[in-house]
Amino acid sequence: MSEFKVQHRDGEGVSVIDLRGYLDAHTAPDLENAFQKLLNEKKFNIVVNCKDLSYISSAGLGVFMAFIEDVRKNQGDIKLTNMSPKVYNVFDLLGFPILYEIYKDELEAVKKFGERR
Amino acid sequence: MPPTSTRRENPSSDILPLFEFSNVVNSSLDLKFILGTVLLTVMGKMLVSKGMVLLKRERGSFEIVNAKGLDPQLIGQPVSIDKPMRTITAVDRIAPDGREWVGFFKSHEQKLLIPIVTQRHVAGFLTLGGRFAGRAFSRTDKQLINSLVNLSGSAIEKALMIDRLKEANRNLDRKFQELNTLFDLSKEFNVVLDADKVIRLLTFSLLGQIGVNRYAICLNEHGSLKIVASRLDAPMGSLDVLRQICFLKTAELTEDLAKQKKFRQTAEELRKLRIEVVIPMQIQNQVKGAILLGERLRGGSYNAGDLEFLYSLANLAIISVENARLFHETLEKQRMEDELAIAREIQQGLLPRTLPQIHRFDIAASNIPSKQVGGDYYDVVTISPNEYVFVIGDVSGKGTGAALLMANVQASLRAFAPMGLSLSEATSRINNLTCANTGQGKFITFFWGSLNLETRSFRYVNAGHNPPFLLRADGGVERLEIGGIILGLMQTVSPYPEGAVTLESGDLIVMFTDGVSEAMNARNEDFTEERLEQLLKQIRTLPAKQIISKIQEALDVYTRGTPQSDDITMLVLRAL
Repeated sequence: MSEFKVQHRDGEGVSVIDLRGYLDAHTAPDLENAFQKLLNEKKFNIVVNCKDLSYISSAGLGVFMAFIEDVRKNQGDIKLTNMSPKVYNVFDLLGFPILYEIYKDELEAVKKFGERR
Repeated sequence: MPPTSTRRENPSSDILPLFEFSNVVNSSLDLKFILGTVLLTVMGKMLVSKGMVLLKRERGSFEIVNAKGLDPQLIGQPVSIDKPMRTITAVDRIAPDGREWVGFFKSHEQKLLIPIVTQRHVAGFLTLGGRFAGRAFSRTDKQLINSLVNLSGSAIEKALMIDRLKEANRNLDRKFQELNTLFDLSKEFNVVLDADKVIRLLTFSLLGQIGVNRYAICLNEHGSLKIVASRLDAPMGSLDVLRQICFLKTAELTEDLAKQKKFRQTAEELRKLRIEVVIPMQIQNQVKGAILLGERLRGGSYNAGDLEFLYSLANLAIISVENARLFHETLEKQRMEDELAIAREIQQGLLPRTLPQIHRFDIAASNIPSKQVGGDYYDVVTISPNEYVFVIGDVSGKGTGAALLMANVQASLRAFAPMGLSLSEATSRINNLTCANTGQGKFITFFWGSLNLETRSFRYVNAGHNPPFLLRADGGVERLEIGGIILGLMQTVSPYPEGAVTLESGDLIVMFTDGVSEAMNARNEDFTEERLEQLLKQIRTLPAKQIISKIQEALDVYTRGTPQSDDITMLVLRAL
């Protein structure tokens, strides 16, 4: 099992969170902390890059749900990118594509934030 | 098979395109593509500008899945057609009596109804509007249309099957995902011993799996449900809701609750909060908590499968919450026991290990601490070969606090006793120190006396302690009660008066704490000082040690069947 890791980069008014490994009930609090930190710093334009994410459980998806309302209330958004088909399938099964913007590539998502401004 | 049996005026011009068409539709498994191709081919051949395809969804109900030349909003709309015809029929020829759908087709200018028959069942319809320039459909036209639709029949059937398999596959995927969630959580719950964390993980899983943003999770605390995590638009107006939830046996939809008379009010409250479903969390049929969920953001209502999943999840979580609670209770109990052990150690450390041998006096003492460790204390301090101080006291409260306060008093009395101060003066100082060192509500009943071997006088101060008995050799009984208020209540304003008695041979002083006089029997009655006095009169001539054991025996008999609630301490001094 690969270890879960949350990494955060800042650039051009958009914060990128890189996810790696298993995002499940055990590691969900790590992502929660990462989001909470961004919100505390008033950073609401968030891209989550799932390139190295190998598994996501519903507890992991729940973290996105827990923050999306506050983020959007502050004119921001959480956009997801670079999902493997396996990870996308879970998002799709639980109906997330209706609720979140999902892009093939991180740059695309970052650009979307740019267009709005 | 190609329509070799159908007679055509000019067969060669029709058969080739038919083959091509058959190849195209039969090489695809994409239902949308097949239906689109059939519809467009027929419309092209017949020069028709409006047409639709309907597929059977359930008995008597069809859904418009394709529409050309018509409002695209028609797609997805249901049309109920009972007893669907199995041959090509002109809409105008169908008697409209009671058939709403006839009017529907007419209103969209559909003239011809062509059934799509697979395995002898009507799987759907293709409908066509009027032909270009008002031309009618000839018999040959109808045969060609029939051929095209029949040719695509098996392709449609295959594609329908594939769609059904895909749907079944997706449902399996979803079930698998649900099981994964339960597995993921149970794995994590097993190692988490913190109820707050269990609730957070449960919340995340609910939000993710169900896709809700309005929720409340309640737990039973001291007999009633309390919200421990929530995101609601407004605070819950009435606590009655939570009270009523305790009567739920299974997961219930708010709309179903509204139909039951006793839950109608509750359902109304829940509806205001936009709560759509309530899931009780149970252990052995007792509601220990509940999950309340709002609408699903991705649409759709809660079905039986969802409720089943939620019920499993809820019960999994509550067991973990309960385990965490029990774990912390055990931990807390352990901590308290550890603290009591420390208190007992301090207290026992303060008591003298051996009593001094005093010429022509017989002394004995005992202390039996209660389970909670009270604040009893006794001491015999040697001031000089001619002078001894006897102390007995009782600190209010129990446990470490009482033990530490007693340690304080012991330190100050041992410091003051050899300084040559009068008992009165020393008592005042100890009181002032105690007042400075204790918080509100902590005080000490205290008695001490100084025995002079030369004069055989016993000077004493009683600061609110149970007055010791002085049993004279001639049979008289006196109480040593001269003194002042208990220590630690207020700074000394007037000096503590001293009492003095002279001890003749055979006189007996018995000092005791309220653990003796207030020892309780099974009927909650005190042993009382009167009963103690009666007993002392009977045993007064015994040696000091035996007096203590006789009192202890009497207490044991009196309190049989009840636990010892306070320390029992005695200090006995007999003049020989």
